[in-house]
Amino acid sequence: MIFQKPAPKLPMPMVPEDQLGGQPVRDEIETVVGPSVNVEGDFVSEGNIVVKGSVAGSVTTSKHLLIEQGARVVANVRAGSVKISGDLKGNMKIRESLELTATARVIGDVEVKVLVMEAGALLYGKVAMLGIDGVEGKPGRSGSRGASKRSEEFQPLEIIE
Amino acid sequence: MYVYLYDNFLRHKRFAADIKTMEIRLTDYGIAGKILRINNYTDAKPIIEDEVKRGAKTVVIVGNDDSFGQILSRAATVPITFGFLPVGPNNSIAEILGITPGTLAVDVLSRRRRQLLDIGWANNWCFIGQLRIPPAKVEVTYDERFTVRAKDLLEVVVCNLKPYVFKSGQPSDPEKIVHPQDGKLEAFLRPLTKRRWWGYMGEEPSVFPFEEMVIRGEKPFMVEADGKVSKEIKLTIRLAHHKIDLIVGRERQF
Repeated sequence: MIFQKPAPKLPMPMVPEDQLGGQPVRDEIETVVGPSVNVEGDFVSEGNIVVKGSVAGSVTTSKHLLIEQGARVVANVRAGSVKISGDLKGNMKIRESLELTATARVIGDVEVKVLVMEAGALLYGKVAMLGIDGVEGKPGRSGSRGASKRSEEFQPLEIIE
Repeated sequence: MYVYLYDNFLRHKRFAADIKTMEIRLTDYGIAGKILRINNYTDAKPIIEDEVKRGAKTVVIVGNDDSFGQILSRAATVPITFGFLPVGPNNSIAEILGITPGTLAVDVLSRRRRQLLDIGWANNWCFIGQLRIPPAKVEVTYDERFTVRAKDLLEVVVCNLKPYVFKSGQPSDPEKIVHPQDGKLEAFLRPLTKRRWWGYMGEEPSVFPFEEMVIRGEKPFMVEADGKVSKEIKLTIRLAHHKIDLIVGRERQF
């Protein structure tokens, strides 16, 4: 084995830099919370946020928030749009859309315009979808106290005709 | 008047031909000037300030990334136009600035397309390319709002001009390159977890664009910035906008 011929060194195939996983040029500033990293406090970003680790406190962005599978967020969220595949405990106020994938587990109240839920996603809390005219009172106000007594507090929406 | 600061490594005879060709081209363009040789222990700031007093209008750094970082980290605050002529290996900053190595760099210099660039301040000294903290037990606070911690060691790389290159724990994985953007400093935080038997394995890095960050360590930690190494226990890093007046190429990446 010692005198074995060394294996021939094959030339590396020419792969464009994009396919190597590198990001040569990015359009927007993106914040990434990697796995095994803990963020504590008021997490504010101007651009998109990707969470793969854990965040505690509050998360604010005017753009997109992506919570990946395995990520844990215990925070109130304010964002332009959100996609969740991991765990989230806290209230959410979202300007545009919320997407929950099959692995998502959410405990908290949600205020959103568009809600997309995949089969298997878990959501425990009050959902208020703005857009119905003539709804009495402001939905989601009473629910902001927490998600523990959700079933007792639940009242059907009254629609004035 | 042009002043050329040659790095010490250019004395080597393998660079003699390149230097000669460049100097001929500079003379052709009529922008040849005074040549000063800088070695590793020379503080460039007083030298440049002296030359400014004598009427220098442009200071051109001749060398590689290390020379560029070393000179500008000291002399960035001197109000003068800087140029860069990349020679030899290790010249990634030149590519970002749109300066092609060789005689084409002289063409870029002669066109005098100027741009004001941001610099990073770390405590009371500045860096141009990149600041790196080798794996240490540190915690990072961003803009006095939120704190980032890792379970064990954390490697911190703050990029201004130089791209961030990292390799995952798997030896078969290729190197990944992330180019920072202008207008913000970008911090790459990479936690290291202990392997089962020995050593550490680097994990996927976190990315945080920021204006100001404070790094604190339980013990003093190493800091490497543009070739300068120091030990700190608390490091405040912030961005200073439009501090350096630099001649750049048309193919610059910002």
